[in-house]
Amino acid sequence: MAAVAWESGTVTTSTTATAPAIELRRLVKTFPPQRGSHDTEVRAVDAIDLRIEPGEVVAFLGPNGAGKTTTLDMVLGLTEPTSGTVEVFGRGPREAVVSGAVSAVLQTGGLLRDLTVRETVRMIASTYAVHSPVDEVIDRAGLATLADRRVSKCSGGEQQRLRFALALLPDPRLLVLDEPTAGMDVTARRDFWDTMHADASAGRTVVFATHYLEEADAFADRIVLVAGGRIVADGTTAEIRSRASGRTVSATLPEQSRSRAVAVLRGTDGVRGIEERGPRVLVSATDSDAVARLLLGELGGTDLEIVTAGLEQAFMALTGDGRDRTTDGEGAGDSGHAARLDARLDARLDARLDARLDARHDHHEEELVR
Amino acid sequence: MNATFTLLEMRRITRDWAGMFFTAVLPAFFYLIFGSTVDAKSADIGNGNVAMYVMISMAAYGAVTATTSIGGNAAVERVQGWGRQLGLTPLADSSYIAMKALIAMTVAAVPILLTYVLGAITGAKGSAAAWALSAALVLLGSSVFALYGLLIGTAFRSEAAVGAAAGTLVIFAFLGNLFIPLSGALLSFAKLTPLYGYAALARYPLTEGFLPDGSRDPLWLPVANVVGWALVFGVLATVLVRRGRERQ
Repeated sequence: MAAVAWESGTVTTSTTATAPAIELRRLVKTFPPQRGSHDTEVRAVDAIDLRIEPGEVVAFLGPNGAGKTTTLDMVLGLTEPTSGTVEVFGRGPREAVVSGAVSAVLQTGGLLRDLTVRETVRMIASTYAVHSPVDEVIDRAGLATLADRRVSKCSGGEQQRLRFALALLPDPRLLVLDEPTAGMDVTARRDFWDTMHADASAGRTVVFATHYLEEADAFADRIVLVAGGRIVADGTTAEIRSRASGRTVSATLPEQSRSRAVAVLRGTDGVRGIEERGPRVLVSATDSDAVARLLLGELGGTDLEIVTAGLEQAFMALTGDGRDRTTDGEGAGDSGHAARLDARLDARLDARLDARLDARHDHHEEELVR
Repeated sequence: MNATFTLLEMRRITRDWAGMFFTAVLPAFFYLIFGSTVDAKSADIGNGNVAMYVMISMAAYGAVTATTSIGGNAAVERVQGWGRQLGLTPLADSSYIAMKALIAMTVAAVPILLTYVLGAITGAKGSAAAWALSAALVLLGSSVFALYGLLIGTAFRSEAAVGAAAGTLVIFAFLGNLFIPLSGALLSFAKLTPLYGYAALARYPLTEGFLPDGSRDPLWLPVANVVGWALVFGVLATVLVRRGRERQ
């Protein structure tokens, strides 16, 4: 392993203490169109600029195909950008990986089924010049009782904890988690995040991709919302939520006076957006009471409904705009999630807000089932 | 070279008893059928006899079958995501390929040993130099085909690739003058195929380049063949392995 030792010896010199954990500048990744199709090239990542400081815990939140995995692949040096630059602690991604500054739990990272848990950890450990003790990472990942089990006999959640153990080996300053709980049931997901929390040693930068809002909400300090290969929102959980604060008031308006009513609403204080869907008008406003009074009284509205915006609606509102640009950069494999998102978006397009609430309800039920 | 990594890989192979049987034992059976039972087995040839000629050929076939399937399996596990996992480690592509080649050669030594032991028992005769050199050349040359397996497995990206690679070896073995003596235009063409140089080189200590039809290959011909194909396989395997790390 002389070559590796030499490489890691040269890269450490370029590290600076003040460099951001991740710095992306105008990052673009395009994939050639599928063979035989007449589509143009797929733009999975479309000019992303992003800076993540050391110690931040950041969620990459977005629907499937948003470009999350492709972006993280470029951060890890697994994929070359089409254009733009990636720096991890001030150096190239591959150098950062070789020096053990960054490691990751991958969504699609395969394991060798005929090895045991401990053998797998030993094998990956052997590729590092310096690494945490094998039994220590097995313990920290909660695998002590499974250490001699074949990987093929481990559940999905156990295999994911094994990937987590592998990621802990170099004691990385930056830990990337790509959909770490995809395909896990509720208990396994909670166990995984408990393990993560228990291990959240001071100063480690964590970047994780997810399409579970509650995960982003519960674990991240900062949410980067991605859709269609672009960043559509970036801020603290509270900031993202406030993007959709206030309430949405909707009512059915008589056809003859509808355009005049819309004009009146547009001129009302605190009204931030108006959307017409067939006979219904949806008004997002900070003072929902005033809008409701106006709609029912002066404007002759009927079937009034008022809905409070949540993080999920912020998510829908912000990522929904990127839907037509959404590309398939993340590959197939969990069409169930895509279908659910489609259902959510369809629900959003539905004029009836109660349908939307049902969809949300279904979504939560589905979460419980998972 | 990473000893822990290599030994754990070896342990995986010893767990696959069925695979070991087919790659290691089958060529030895081939030798018993094609080599030790033919009437001409005791006829002199160069520094030994016909049984020895067949023994070297079959050992070579067994060795490349072993290395090709190990290379192919390596490619398949990379396709199934292990390559991405390794891509997150400092392990360099060149180290990975070198380790896999070493493992493949270690496993290739098993059919060589079996065939040579059977040969010694059943009447293969040759000079001591011919025995030692041919065994060494069979072993060393087989590493080229670990790259071939890796290349085919990566290109076809499925478990069927391993079978496909092994299947093409049978064709290459015919063209490589391993199963039946070739002559004429087919022989001229065969000299360009990947197994020809390897087998001819392995048999050189026995035959000194003489072929069953009485013609003779100068030493540079099998050497050039082996070096040329090693370069082709090595470069293509490296390119494909690198590309395989990107998500598809």
